Amino acid sequence: MTVFAAEGLTVDIGGRRIVHGIDCAIPAGRCLALVGESGSGKSQSCFAPFGLSVGVAGGSAILNGEQLVGASEARLRRLRGRDVGFVFQQPLTALTPHLTVGKMLSEAWRQAGAPRPGRAEMVAALERVGIEQAADRLDQYPHRLSGGQRQRVAIAMAIAHRPKLLVADEPTTALDAVLRADMMRLLDRLRAEEGMAMLLVSHDLASVADHADEALVLRDGRMIEAGPAPMLLRAPTSDYARALIAASPRLTDPPPPLGPVGPPLIEASGVSVSFERPGWRRGRVTAVDDAALTIAEGEALALVGRSGSGKSTLGRAIARLGPIDAGAVRFAGAPLPDRKAMRPADRAALQPVFQDPIASLDPLWRVADVIAEPLRNLQPDLDAAAVAAKVAAALAEVDLDPALADRRPAALSGGQAQRIAIARALIASPKMLLLDEATSALDTLVAGTVLDLLGRLQRTRGLSILMITHDLAVARRLCHRVAVIDAGRIIEEGPMEAVISAPRHTVTQKLVAASA
Amino acid sequence: MFHLLRRRLFTALPTLAAVIILSFGLMRVAPGGPFDGERPLDPATRDALMATYGLDRPLPEQIGLYLWRLAHGDFGPSLVYRDFSVTDLIAKGLPVSLTLGGWALLLAFVLGLAAGIIAAARSGTAIDRAIMFATTVLTALPSFVVGPLLALLFGLRLGWLPVSGWADGDAAHLVLPVIALALPYAGAIAKLARAGLASVLAQDHIRAARSRGLSATRILIVHALRPALVPVASYLGPAAAGLLTGAVVIETVFGLPGLGRYFVQGALNRDYPLVLGVVVIYATLIVLFNLIADLTYGWLDPRTRDA
Amino acid sequence: MRLSLPLCLVALIALTALLGPFLIHWPYDAIDWNAVRAEPFAAGHVMGTDSVGRDLLARTLVGTRVTLGVATAAALVALIVGVAWGAVGGWCGGRIDEAMMRIVDALYALPFMFVVILLMVVFGRSILLVFIGIGLVEWLTMARVVRGQVLTLKNRPFALAAEAAGARPFAIVARHILPNLAGVAIAYLLLTVPQVVMIESFLSFLGLGVQEPMTSLGILIKDGADDMDVAPHALFLPGMVLIAILVCLTIAGEKLRDRMTA
Repeated sequence: MTVFAAEGLTVDIGGRRIVHGIDCAIPAGRCLALVGESGSGKSQSCFAPFGLSVGVAGGSAILNGEQLVGASEARLRRLRGRDVGFVFQQPLTALTPHLTVGKMLSEAWRQAGAPRPGRAEMVAALERVGIEQAADRLDQYPHRLSGGQRQRVAIAMAIAHRPKLLVADEPTTALDAVLRADMMRLLDRLRAEEGMAMLLVSHDLASVADHADEALVLRDGRMIEAGPAPMLLRAPTSDYARALIAASPRLTDPPPPLGPVGPPLIEASGVSVSFERPGWRRGRVTAVDDAALTIAEGEALALVGRSGSGKSTLGRAIARLGPIDAGAVRFAGAPLPDRKAMRPADRAALQPVFQDPIASLDPLWRVADVIAEPLRNLQPDLDAAAVAAKVAAALAEVDLDPALADRRPAALSGGQAQRIAIARALIASPKMLLLDEATSALDTLVAGTVLDLLGRLQRTRGLSILMITHDLAVARRLCHRVAVIDAGRIIEEGPMEAVISAPRHTVTQKLVAASA
Repeated sequence: MFHLLRRRLFTALPTLAAVIILSFGLMRVAPGGPFDGERPLDPATRDALMATYGLDRPLPEQIGLYLWRLAHGDFGPSLVYRDFSVTDLIAKGLPVSLTLGGWALLLAFVLGLAAGIIAAARSGTAIDRAIMFATTVLTALPSFVVGPLLALLFGLRLGWLPVSGWADGDAAHLVLPVIALALPYAGAIAKLARAGLASVLAQDHIRAARSRGLSATRILIVHALRPALVPVASYLGPAAAGLLTGAVVIETVFGLPGLGRYFVQGALNRDYPLVLGVVVIYATLIVLFNLIADLTYGWLDPRTRDA
Repeated sequence: MRLSLPLCLVALIALTALLGPFLIHWPYDAIDWNAVRAEPFAAGHVMGTDSVGRDLLARTLVGTRVTLGVATAAALVALIVGVAWGAVGGWCGGRIDEAMMRIVDALYALPFMFVVILLMVVFGRSILLVFIGIGLVEWLTMARVVRGQVLTLKNRPFALAAEAAGARPFAIVARHILPNLAGVAIAYLLLTVPQVVMIESFLSFLGLGVQEPMTSLGILIKDGADDMDVAPHALFLPGMVLIAILVCLTIAGEKLRDRMTA
């Protein structure tokens, strides 16, 4: 029996058409994946018909025999509380901060018409979604729970009224890589137990293929391809789907060609960093504990770990861009000065690229000035024409139109902004790049091209790279070696292929499994 | 939470001490004293008076003595109202000021909150715009303009309400001063409440609550209102201070025998103990209101309890 | 668009107050014995006269000039002290920041109007003192806002990128942080001016601000209020000018603030 069916479903925002006609049908107990990059209209397509976005739905969307398009807000509200449940991307903000878990769960229960649930029932509901110590959690406020726990509570509330359809918008994207597989397994299990239909929204075709029965690829609000998910993954018919699959790296891909490696460039040893404990308790929290790293000339090292493992802190401590308590860092054989003593020439040799591309650029500066900033400090007597020539060359090197030089950061896409951040790093003629999750905020396709660019630069310029990431598959596209960090300690280190094929530590095993 | 309270207490006591010492010092370095009346006193009488009130001793000793007496609830004698101690005068004026300020705060809170909630619930409509324009005008209206205007309209022209005097706290005498005092603060609270609600209503947990089929009213009251009140709570301290200072004007306009008038009179007459006494009382009240505001944060948003 | 309208109105009022006194026949302190408490348009006084026969239009123009002058000067004092205090605290962080913010907290708890009143009483009533006193009251909010902005801005990746580009701390503050918080600071400057206007008129109302025969909007309103049952027109003009200034600046400041912090 079909639970949800859309025919020629459109979404308009402010008179502009965002989604141009979607056709799909989900039978009970089945899962449809809606796949696309950001801005493809995938979230709008599944929120607008239910009145949960500013978008206005057109065409037809039928839930359980009822037409959603054109239905009143009161009608939609009753449907939301009865036939459909939602899980959102951001578990950290999806729960009301001043209500306890028990209060919210009880509310979700009662709005569906059920009597006020007893504690035992609520504990059982929490245990069902995999929450440990459920009885204690009932009296806690959401901010005491971890991201994974919060997402589980959100799921428990979404299915409290036993909906026929579960809409999950990127339910694992904001979670730690290691938790993602667990969460997907939980959703699969609940779907089977409840016989729910599921609409799964994702930007990653490869990762949903195992869980979805059908997949639908969206681009700029149009359907590009639809079909059984495993087949779509194995033999995509459209170029776009093919590019999307190719751009999201897998550990099963053949290893990429990497450049030659020279003598050691960076030698860091005994690096420790601690922060003052937040809140009223005194004392310090150790973020990095006695870590050692060596990176050779022309070598790319991946520093991989879960969120909060201390990988960024270690990277920044080595690059003299963050605090450091103890430890020695040698650069090309000589000790690297302290953060405050770094001269422009020292800085130039070691350039960073950060995660958030737009925030990496001063919003008030023109692109040309952003790229030229290292030159201003490094070669202050360079005349304007020479600077302009170097900026144009840098833009060309990162495959950008020189006309972008006059724009401001707000007028750039994420991919363009990140290329400009890379151009700014290159103009200083560095020996080494620090890539701090440099591609994880970008769309799959864009991230793929930026990775290709970085790989090319590394080979042509013989750059050393310290790549900080949570994703082993991404790291493998670029890096010779990998160091795994957990709770501030480096727990495993070795050549990339060796570590991936035979991970020793359990954390490494989980990271490998998460990227497989 | 307790950390915050402890920190506030730690800042509150030095603040109070600083207020006292600063005010004390200021009054003493000022040229002219309380006995420099229109008719100069002969030096012997003047010295005797100075000795009686302890004004001939060194400044630190005077401050120490004052603090010591203060700790025992003794604000010292008034230099101008010779038959009264400052404690007597404060005991007379404080109930008037507290009654006026208390009702005004309550009115401002209720009125402002209601207007803010209605504006946020009807966000973007003509009702919202009308309320927001009215609150901007209200906050920009000085109470010494509103007061006389209200008195002119309801007192003199319409004759509905008395325009001045206290009459032992008769309710009719309170209506106009309370309204005149409360309106600007009602406007400010309405603005804060609307802005707070608007930012909370745009957050993810509101969409999540909507996705569970909850009614708009329930979402507004149960899921949005409490965190939205945090800015209103932090306004409580400054608002209390403002109501007290605003009361000086309102007491003047409506001829109420409150603390503010004693302060202005005392300052003009250089009646040191009286001025100091009023400053101490006001500073204590402001510190108290800040503490109350801090206490409500933890209830409004549990995340601040762990901070 | 909507921002420029209130600002233009205030500029118009300021310009009128600056130039107006040169264009009208009556000096602000001249007493016309033939026209005491004259109604508007009586005996050549467009807006009438006050209780001692001085031209109300001339007095309102001069009073507006004084009030706006004092307010602008005090708001600038608040801007300079507040931005400097907040920027140093936010940039240095740690114990320095904590100590500086504790001082701000403590000053917030002062009944500041009373301190200003005390200052006025103690040191006499000069205009200079009025605006220094008020400026010293009003910098606290500015300091808090600026500090918050600096704290977020200095942790933005572009500040770190500037450090990696070899910029010295002073250059990072001057080239990246201050320009990025200028909008917010200007918004709060616009919001400070109405506050100062309010305090100035409040002091004048209590007889502690500007001294006769010099005048300000606060004094004019007090005189008008004292007289309003017999000559309501004396309250009307200065009252409307004051409200217009306050409303326009508040609207402009809030719009700019919302735009800058959005």
